[in-house]
Parts: sequence; C-alpha cells; structure tokens
Amino acid sequence: MTLLAFCYLAVGFFAVAFVHRAWAIASMPVHLRWELAPVPHEASKAHYGGSYLEEYEWWTKPREKSLVSEGIYMFKEIVLLRGVWEHNPRMWTFSFPFHFGIYLLVAMAGCAFLAAWGLPLFGSLARMLAILGYCLGCLGTAGLLYMRLADPKLSAFTTPATCFNLLFLFLVFSTGAYSVFGLADFTGELAKLMKAFFTIDTTVALPAAARIHVVAAAAFLVYLPFTHMLHFLAKYFTYHEIRWNDEPMTAGSAMEAEVKALLSQPVEWAAPHIGADGKKNWVDVATQEVQK
Amino acid sequence: MTHRLKIEDFGRNPDRPLTQIDLEDLVPLPPPYDQAAALPKWKELTKEAKERFACNLDGVVALGLPKPKDAAEEQATVDRFVSGLKKLLTKENNWTFLQPLVLSLEYCAKCQSCNDSCPIYTASGSNDLYRPTYRSEVWRRLVHKYLKPGGALLARLKHGDIDLNWTTVSRLYELCYRCTMCRRCAQACPMGVDNGLITHELRKLFSQELGWAPKELHERGTQLQLKVGSSTGMNPEVVKDNIQFIDEEFAEESGLDATTPWDQEDADVLLIHNAGEIMSWPENPAAFAIILNAAGIKWTLTSDEPSYDGVNYGLFYDDFQLARIALKHAGTAKKLRAKKVLMGECGHQHKVMMTISDRILLGDLSIRRESCIPLLERIVFGGKIKFDPSKNNFPVTLHDPCNITRNLGIIEPQRRILRYLCPQFREMAPHGAENYCCGGGSGFAVMSGNNFGDWRKAIASRVKFKQVLEAFRDCAGPEVKKYVCAPCSNCKGAFRDMLEYYGAKEKSSIIYGGLVELIVNAMVGLKKPFIKWEEE
Ligand code: HEM
Repeated sequence: MTLLAFCYLAVGFFAVAFVHRAWAIASMPVHLRWELAPVPHEASKAHYGGSYLEEYEWWTKPREKSLVSEGIYMFKEIVLLRGVWEHNPRMWTFSFPFHFGIYLLVAMAGCAFLAAWGLPLFGSLARMLAILGYCLGCLGTAGLLYMRLADPKLSAFTTPATCFNLLFLFLVFSTGAYSVFGLADFTGELAKLMKAFFTIDTTVALPAAARIHVVAAAAFLVYLPFTHMLHFLAKYFTYHEIRWNDEPMTAGSAMEAEVKALLSQPVEWAAPHIGADGKKNWVDVATQEVQK
Repeated sequence: MTHRLKIEDFGRNPDRPLTQIDLEDLVPLPPPYDQAAALPKWKELTKEAKERFACNLDGVVALGLPKPKDAAEEQATVDRFVSGLKKLLTKENNWTFLQPLVLSLEYCAKCQSCNDSCPIYTASGSNDLYRPTYRSEVWRRLVHKYLKPGGALLARLKHGDIDLNWTTVSRLYELCYRCTMCRRCAQACPMGVDNGLITHELRKLFSQELGWAPKELHERGTQLQLKVGSSTGMNPEVVKDNIQFIDEEFAEESGLDATTPWDQEDADVLLIHNAGEIMSWPENPAAFAIILNAAGIKWTLTSDEPSYDGVNYGLFYDDFQLARIALKHAGTAKKLRAKKVLMGECGHQHKVMMTISDRILLGDLSIRRESCIPLLERIVFGGKIKFDPSKNNFPVTLHDPCNITRNLGIIEPQRRILRYLCPQFREMAPHGAENYCCGGGSGFAVMSGNNFGDWRKAIASRVKFKQVLEAFRDCAGPEVKKYVCAPCSNCKGAFRDMLEYYGAKEKSSIIYGGLVELIVNAMVGLKKPFIKWEEE
C-alpha cells in the first residue's frame, strides 16, 4: 500500500508541477519577433534556412507551412539529439545513450501496461526494452558524470547539483538494471504494479529490488520539475514560440489586443534618457521627443 | 596557452584583467597572413586611460567606463544594477523579450555545444572568457543568488557561486561588448537557449537602468539621430545636397539616369538607406537610383528626420531608443502614403523594420515593409534591364549579413542574382543561414574607442577574414582582383577595417562592396565600369 500510495503521490505531483510549469511559460506575454533560421515549417525553403520574407511582396502570397517538415526536424532533434551530434559529438557519445535509454524505458512502461492487460507479446518486448534502456542509461549517466568532472571545458560549469542529478539518475538506472537482471520477471512485476495503479489494487506486493527501483524512479519524478531537466518542455517553447514563431502582426488579431494592453503598462526604467516616471506607459515613453 | 577561467573568478581580483590576449594564440590564418608579428601593433592604452577607466576584463577598453570615486559610488552602482536585473525579469518593464529571456535563464544544460560556433571564441584560440556561455552563466548565477528565493547556499549548490561587486558589474558591462549577437550559438543550442539574446538583454539593462551605453551607439548614435536626423550628423539639407552631388556625379560617369526623387507622396516604394552609405559608399545609393529608374519603379527618398537614415542602433542596446526611431520611420511612410518601405542594404535596419518592430507598429503605422533583395531579383530577371555578365568576370564571393540571413531567412534571391551576373561567383564555407558574422555586428562596426578597434579587427573579424581567403584560395595572389559582396553597411564598415588591418588590398587584391554595385556594373549601356578597383 505504501508503495502504491507513493506512486500516486509522485505521479500526481509530477503531473501538477508539469502543468504548472508549462502554464507559467505559456502565459508569459507575447514577445517581439525573434525568429532564427532555419524555420522548418517553411516547406520548400527550410533546407537552406530560407523564409517567406524572400518573396517579393510576401504579404500577397499564400504562406506555405509544413507540419511534416517540422515533424521530421523535431524527430531528429528529440530522438537522435541531432544538435548535440553536430556541435558536440564527444558529449553525444554519452548523451545519446542516456536520452535514448530514457525513451526506451518510457516505451517499456507502455509495453508493460499493455502486457498487464493480457497482451503477453508486449511482456517480452518490455523485457528487451528494459534491458537495453537501463544499460544505456547507466552507460550514459556514468559517462556524462565523468565528462562533467574531468573535461575542463565542462567542469567550470559543473555544480554540486549537476553531479547530484546525474548520480540520482544513475541510481534509478542501476537499480532498474539490477532488477531486470536479478529478478525472474521484473517487467512482469512492473506490469502488476501498473495494473494495481490503474485498478487501485492496494494488495500489490513487489520483490525488494523492484520496490527500491520504483521508489527511486518515483522520487526522481518528484524531483524533476524543480530542475532544468524539464528542458524537454522548455524546448517546445524555445522552438515553436520563439525560433519558429514568424507570425506577422495582423490588424484586429488577438495578438494586437494583447500588445496594446502590454503597451499601456507603466515603465519604471531609471536611466534619464528613458524619461520614465513609473506612471507613463510604453507608448508615452516611446513617443516622447528627445530634447534637441 | 590555455586560459582556464572559472565563473567564480569574475568578481575577484579587481585590480587585474581576468585574461590577457596573446596574438600568438589566435586561430592561424593562411599565408601571407600567418605571422602575428607582421600585423599592425595594437594601440597601447595610455596611462591616463588605464587610470581613469575600468580596464579589468581582457586588457581591452571598448566603453571607457570611469572608475568609481569611492566605496559609496561602487555600492550605488551595484544597487542600481540589481534593480535593473529585477526589471529585466518583469512583465511590466520587459514584456518585449521576457519569455525568451526566462527560458534562456532556466534551461541551459551547460553542455557547451554552442562554444565552437562562436567566431569570437574560435578566433581567440578558445579563450574561456569569450565562450558564449561564460557571460550568460555569470548573469544566471547573479540572478539565482541575488534575486531568487532560497538563499545563497541553495543558489551555490544548485547554480554555483558568484560575487556581486563593482568589479562584477563593470566587467559584465564590458563583456557585453565582446559578442556581436550574431546568434550562431543559438542555432547550435539543443535547448534553444539564446546567448545572443542574453547579451542583448544585459546591454539593455545597462542602458535602460544605469544609463550606460557606448558613446558610438547612444550619444553619437540614436540620440544624435533623434536630435539631428541621422547618426552621421547630417541634417536634411546636407543629405539632399550630398545626394544631389552623388546623382550628378554618377549620372555623368555612368551615362544613366541617377536622379533621386524626394518626398514623393503615394510612391510605390519609399527607399530608406543607412545614411552611412551616403557618406562612405556613395556608389551604393547611386546604384540604387540607377536600377530603380531603369526599371521604371515609382520610388522616393525622404528628407524627413530621422527617416532618411535607416540606422536604428536601438536594436543593439535599448528597446526604447529602438521604438522611438522605428515609430518615426513608420510615421514618415504613413505621411507620404508610401505603398511600402524598402530596406536598403543595411542588415540591422532590415531586422528592426521587418521583424523586431512588426508587433509594435500598429494601426495605420503598420505599413508594408520589404527587403530590397527580392525586388532587386525581380528587376534583374524581369527583362526590362539588359545585362552583360561578362563585365563581372572576376572572382566574387558573398558575405551573408547575419541580420538578413540567420535572422530573417533571406538567403537565395541574392545568390540567384550573383549566379547569373557574376560568372566567377563562389560561396564561402559555411554560408547562408550558417554564415559567420563579419565582426562588425551589434554596433561594433562603428566602435573603435581606445584599443577596441584592434580587438575587433584581430579577433571579432578574424574568422570572417579567414573564410574570405579560403573562398579565394584558387586565385590568392594580388594579380587577380577579387570582390567581396557585402550587402550591408555595417558589414562593409567591418570589411573596410578588416581588409585594411590585414593589408589585404595590397597582398591579395581583395575589395568589398554591395550587391547593387555588381548589378549596375553588369548593365548594358554603362559608359564606364561602375566598380572602381583603385579607389576602394
Ligand atoms: C527534447 C529533446 C531533448 C534534447 C535536445 C535534450 C538535450 C539534452 C542535452 C543537450 C543535455 C545536456 C547534455 C547531457 O548532460 O547529456 C541534456 C541533459 C539531460 N536531459 Fe535532455 N534532452 C531532451 C529530452 C529529454 C527528455 C525527454 C528527458 C527526460 C526526462 C531528458 C532528461 C535529461 C536529463 C535528466 C539530463 C541531465 C541533466 C544534468 O546533467 O543535470 N532530456 N539533455
């Protein structure tokens, strides 16, 4: 019962914290345009970084926006860590196994869930994914920890929290690896736990090794929203809302109404040339004549 | 020599620079530019400058920040800095960039994937101080330690330590002017963190809260433009006189119509040049006039202050100065009922008018705004003007201004023009959206105070210069005349200084110029070649 309760708490906490952080970012005000090439939804131009601004009188032309092209770009970024591969191949050697390990384990959890509802094929798949996922995770985190401590390029930026994060993750992966190799049917045990989770079956019991792993993983889930490791969420915004947000302003749009409201806020910047007094708003300050 | 720096070092050892630059460490250039000793000596800082100004970063002084008189002044500065730091993170005072800034604050993975994409860091021989992440991390630690709840201990464990004192503030100010905000690092970031933006925001903090900004950008830049009409100091009469002189001179030389219409209402095109062109590269406005007239476009320049100057240095350091100038530019277009505003060959003007101010030019100020490049492409391929590309039969390479390519994605039209009109056109590597900055970005092209000009030419422009040499590798010697096409005034300023510093005109016969000059040079019916190799 305590294990299950902890799982509910952890998952519930993570869900709430995740939504909270996502909302905190999403509800920030509209910003000035700050796009950055390449913008992959520019279907025929994205491959060289081009944009609709290349078109003569672009406002008279239909915008071509391809979600497929965006999807392919994101797949490479998220699954293959393309950016790290291109710009930091040494780190990719460990970062890729680590991230890919996480993805495999998420897939493993999905398979275990399906297995729990009587689809045994997914049970074997879950086991394969678990073996691979935990091993890659251990390799990746150990390698990253080593790099962050030993590589002088990285170590100047390494803080106690960086090491703690990676050690914590290593604990999660290693207890998982221990369970998958040490127990007769670890993924079966996980399937049991998942079924109990969704049916609120408080009688579920797991072997000690699996229990330890589940507690570690659930604790990590609680810890995650307090850290920058939620970057997969942030990345959605840095890409879709900033780099790829090339939406021109249109009269009468919701964005126009929002900007008008933002412009009516008082300005407090203190430098004399700004001429703000905490009462004048953005429009007042920006239309103020400079003394000649 | 390696320059290992910790972030904690930033507020320590106030009396000596954090790092020293040794020219031998810089990334090597191909011969005949491979001897550091053969390059011009850097300007020595005068004893007086060293005594008066903060010189505690890298031995270079771009800004000439006076040292504080006493401890009270130091503390007051630190307090104002903290107050600015807070404002930067509020919706009321900084809605313009809040979301991108907060994301860049909170989600850097410290993976350093961006480092090698920075031309300044690369050129310096990997000096830690110039890593795109170094400045950002100093700022990040300051925010976490001094603004966020949780206390100094938690901040130290989670984000690392930093001291906040006058040394930190003055070094950070100077360090904001060691980045051209080219945003190559942002392209490399797997998280979408933007170190160029952080530089931009820090510069804003210094300007908008402390009133600190480089003289070249503020007093002699935006302020002068708002007072007199142009950062060149030209008032409307002088501009009109100068353009008239240019029109006459180039009409005479070219045998073509170079007349400039002024203040025409209802024109199809209101062309706005960077006024620096009129002063330093008069052939550029002349070439525009020749092309637009030959193509039969109904166009005009304006003598409205400050709209005859497309410069808007506000982009580099101050949102309010930016808005003030952008609003006036749009106001002129509205007054003249222009169908659209056309950006001349000026990268930052493109970015300010086309995207940055897009969301603040509301109502009747939201005049259509367009780059000159698509129109030039249309004209070149439109058939109305006849061209003879053999007139441009010399090696040409294209420099991509960051603001036009990486930031706006205008990449192919200029290439289609060059591929057609310049038989020996060749690309630099890398190019297009992945280009390297010329080293003059973010206002550097007009900043040369103390020994900053030397730093800029030797370091900020170095990777670009190397790229140019590599593009002309097959015809490296001085016997072959070569042209770098740089369709941006600031970039041209950087090329002028860079080519002179390295002696590239003499050693390699490399000159630079804009795009329109090459177009006119290829026009059939031109009396004399438009590109003059000797005068450059
Ligand atoms: C969206 C695509 C993602 C990209 C581009 C990405 C990229 C990165 C990069 C560049 C690093 C720093 C290098 C390293 O330590 O490996 C990193 C670290 C990390 N990532 Fe991701 N990541 C992504 C998705 C995820 C996801 C879905 C998770 C799941 C929880 C995750 C968890 C982590 C963790 C835990 C670290 C280690 C942080 C530390 O060292 O303190 N990432 N990621």
